[in-house]
Amino acid sequence: MSEAIRKIIVAGSGPVAWIAAAGLSRALRSRAVEVSIVATEPDGAVAGYWTLPSQRGIHALLGVNEPHFIHHTGSTFRLATEHRGWQGEGSAYLHAHGEIGSDIEGTPYYKYLLSEALAGRPAAAENFSVAGAAARLGRFARPMGEGLTASFTYGFHIEEPAYTRYLQMHAQRLGVRICPAVLADVELAENGNISALRLNDGILADADLFIDCSGAAARLIRHVSSNERDDWSAWLPCDRMLSGMGPALRDPAPVTQTVAAQAGWMWRAPLVERSMAGMAYSSAFMNDDAAHATLAAFEPGLKGEVVTRFSSGRRRDGWVRNCVALGAAAVELEPLAGASLHLAQLGLATLVELFPLNRSSSVEAREFNRLMGAQGDSLRDFTIAHYRLGRAPAGDFWTTARAAAPPANLAHKLDLFAASGRINLLDHETFEEIDWAWLLIGGGCVPAAIELHTRQRLAKLRSQDVSAIRTRVQQVAASMPPHAEFVRRQTPPVART
Amino acid sequence: MPAPLRIVIVGGGTAGWMTAAAFASVYGPELRNIRLIESSEIGIVGVGEATLPHIRFFNRRIGIDERELMAKTQATFKLGIEFVDWARIGDSYIHPFGAYGSRIAGVPFHHYWLRQRAAGETSAIEDYSLPIVASRMNRFALPSDDPTEVMSTFGYAFQFDASLYAAYLRGFAEQRGVQRTDGKIVDVKLRPGDGWVESVQLADGSEVTGDLFIDCSGFRGLIIEQALKTGYDDWTRWLPCDRAAAVPCDSHGQLTPYTRATAREAGWQWRIPLQHRTGNGYVYSSNFISDDEAASKLLSRLDGKPQADPRFLRFTAGRRRKTWNRNCVAIGLSGGFLEPLESTSIYLIQIAITTLVDYLTDRDATSGRFDERVVDAYNRWIEMEYDRVRDFLILHYHATERDDAPIWNYCRSMSVPDSLIHKMELFRERGHVITYKDGLFLEPSWLAVYLGQRVMPRGYDGRADAVDGVKVAAELERVRTRVMTAAARMPHHEKFIQQYCPATPRSEMPGVMA
Repeated sequence: MSEAIRKIIVAGSGPVAWIAAAGLSRALRSRAVEVSIVATEPDGAVAGYWTLPSQRGIHALLGVNEPHFIHHTGSTFRLATEHRGWQGEGSAYLHAHGEIGSDIEGTPYYKYLLSEALAGRPAAAENFSVAGAAARLGRFARPMGEGLTASFTYGFHIEEPAYTRYLQMHAQRLGVRICPAVLADVELAENGNISALRLNDGILADADLFIDCSGAAARLIRHVSSNERDDWSAWLPCDRMLSGMGPALRDPAPVTQTVAAQAGWMWRAPLVERSMAGMAYSSAFMNDDAAHATLAAFEPGLKGEVVTRFSSGRRRDGWVRNCVALGAAAVELEPLAGASLHLAQLGLATLVELFPLNRSSSVEAREFNRLMGAQGDSLRDFTIAHYRLGRAPAGDFWTTARAAAPPANLAHKLDLFAASGRINLLDHETFEEIDWAWLLIGGGCVPAAIELHTRQRLAKLRSQDVSAIRTRVQQVAASMPPHAEFVRRQTPPVART
Repeated sequence: MPAPLRIVIVGGGTAGWMTAAAFASVYGPELRNIRLIESSEIGIVGVGEATLPHIRFFNRRIGIDERELMAKTQATFKLGIEFVDWARIGDSYIHPFGAYGSRIAGVPFHHYWLRQRAAGETSAIEDYSLPIVASRMNRFALPSDDPTEVMSTFGYAFQFDASLYAAYLRGFAEQRGVQRTDGKIVDVKLRPGDGWVESVQLADGSEVTGDLFIDCSGFRGLIIEQALKTGYDDWTRWLPCDRAAAVPCDSHGQLTPYTRATAREAGWQWRIPLQHRTGNGYVYSSNFISDDEAASKLLSRLDGKPQADPRFLRFTAGRRRKTWNRNCVAIGLSGGFLEPLESTSIYLIQIAITTLVDYLTDRDATSGRFDERVVDAYNRWIEMEYDRVRDFLILHYHATERDDAPIWNYCRSMSVPDSLIHKMELFRERGHVITYKDGLFLEPSWLAVYLGQRVMPRGYDGRADAVDGVKVAAELERVRTRVMTAAARMPHHEKFIQQYCPATPRSEMPGVMA
């Protein structure tokens, strides 16, 4: 058996790099592993992120105190995404991070909504969900207790530079070593592994394991990998993200808004002292100037816009030899589903769980690639689904986005739902049945029929009993404080001396 | 409201009556008409049958009283399966229905055991499993619902007489309106044009029409294969056994709360203790032993007097290409055959039934057909279930050091599915068990077979080193003590059965002529 891994270098400059460095440092603290970070030339910049509830899990792994984080980064909470115009002019639906109604004798409540829709009485899922109702009312509180008050979860809206600074300080506190120079080149050993990074001050930084968080440029892994990649652009034609900072929103709801546009989609999210907005678009259908103009019309006060180019797809293997790619170095995907940090963090957690016991083992990399491949593909499918549901907005971009047959697993999922209202999940999917229900119901999908046993069970119910939950949901949501007020209350714990 | 679905079940063995009972219970009479056709001339394959804890969900879902069921089927409790002589002659391990210890700091318990073992700890992994320790002492008690109690760390299943089980379910189903037809099917009539099943023709000349045909006709697949030519994937290259000889014998010694599977010179032998007798069988490969020799080996290795001559069964390990084809669903042996090494036969019937109930949707009002999209999804699900059981069974044959017989030499060196190679490598390298969301066999099952068959990890999850060594040692000791104390407090299995579910005299059983 060869020796254990003693030195890790994380290469990158954004939140993913700092999360990886801090996370590894904290998770491996009992194992005498030294974690350093080497900066890379920035590659791709966004104004910020809207995250999934999994961000709370990563904060727990890093030991980040949530009120402290909110206070110091000016972040806000997030209960839902509102998708406007995705089924044409005037359409809008929420994808909230919470339950829809509550189970009826073991049958998920959304099945009742489906049967109502099937009977010609469609209803919006948000009216039956605490997360949805609170999102609409602009209110927020953390889940607590049990029942309806615990029927939801939440993510965050985070500004990128503030988050990077915050994570950097946190990583330093955890003992991450920061190299004073920037990556210049990658040195390979005779066996094909990365042996060291050459920095722009001439110094060689060696390590046993290298984490590539350098963004789409993939500055490390491209030296050791065949760079085979699955291209997703046939389903996801956007290849640019333009984003910037806007003025603060008045009484901001804990909601991210997306708006379907002529050649992509725009988004807006609240922060404490400002807001963020952006636009994902396809350069084949819109040039950068037109994108600037479109986004300026959407958000006139926008400042400091940056454009990032990307190419939707996934590296076949994110872990090759002694190099693990996290973030855009492994997967590039538009942030429509709020998962841009999620996959990188899942990769980090998987790496921690499968952390090799010795330098020469390769079975962990195979398992990592199997799991992350499945997760990446399922996120891709969830993202693609947004484009394909209900009526499409007008325009060539939208026709193109719907032209290619969907990936097989997505086709299976959509087909089964269309035929029976049933949602099947594979192993290793990020989004759960309830998320798909939000998306499918919001997208106006009405199944041709409902499973026989469900139809039988629902037929016995009286509609006034079933819909009574609507009132209770509204009451719980209305009892929460306004979102802005809740954010103001997030003061960090008093530091112990 | 669509007209009630006419469901025709072909075959009245375990699969047929389980299906009839479930459909009659789950669907109200306004939704279905159920007819089961069986021939009293054709025997059922049902032998002494061992089950998995999942059967309790099935019972609960369809409303079967467990205690009554046990009394009427000569049933005993089952806490796991003992595997004897699998990796080496002389080895014994139990695959338990329950976990080994519980996670510490988010890391599975066995990594701490591996860590302590590397530091000289000598306790066996068995010592941390209540169902195993109780099994070794022939004790049983019902588990507790309180998750803080060690008594909540196990589940249980049953060992029962399969013919009595079918008879019991028949009574249950008939009470709920299932109509039974005694008759032999001589022909299957397909609809001209699309080839959907229209009716089955009986020997007496009558014809039974239906909307949905459930083929529970056993190995031969009367509708799914003989009429619909669906095709079969043969897995004999991984699971070489293709015959079985079965014989009941008199009970002898203490009533064990577990099934036993002993590796033999050309396959393996089962032992299933019931209240009134012990079921035995030899599953073997006809390439490696003759029927006569298998039967005589079996008879020479019974722990009581045989009660009959051995009955022979033939099969091919594998799965029907589609278990739902047009308007026919194959459930039971007609859908696939995996040897009962891990007691999966009834599980696979049960999962086919409950999945069908989950998926079944009204037929299209104009064409009268089931939606192909639902059919495809059902088939993918069932395929996944069979494939996962298959890999787990292959592991038993493959992870062996035995070189005393040609069958073991073959299995030890055969090439196995890539997915299994990968699973075994990860365990060998670091004790990591690959888990999945759906399908049978969770972490403790894989762990039991790996460790029991000498697939020993070289290392363990490094996160287990984060906990102080003294604390780990104390926790291990605490778990061992708790397990031992709880097991010692349980009554003897036989005693528990006497007060909980003693068998009804045969003459009082439904479906059995006095």
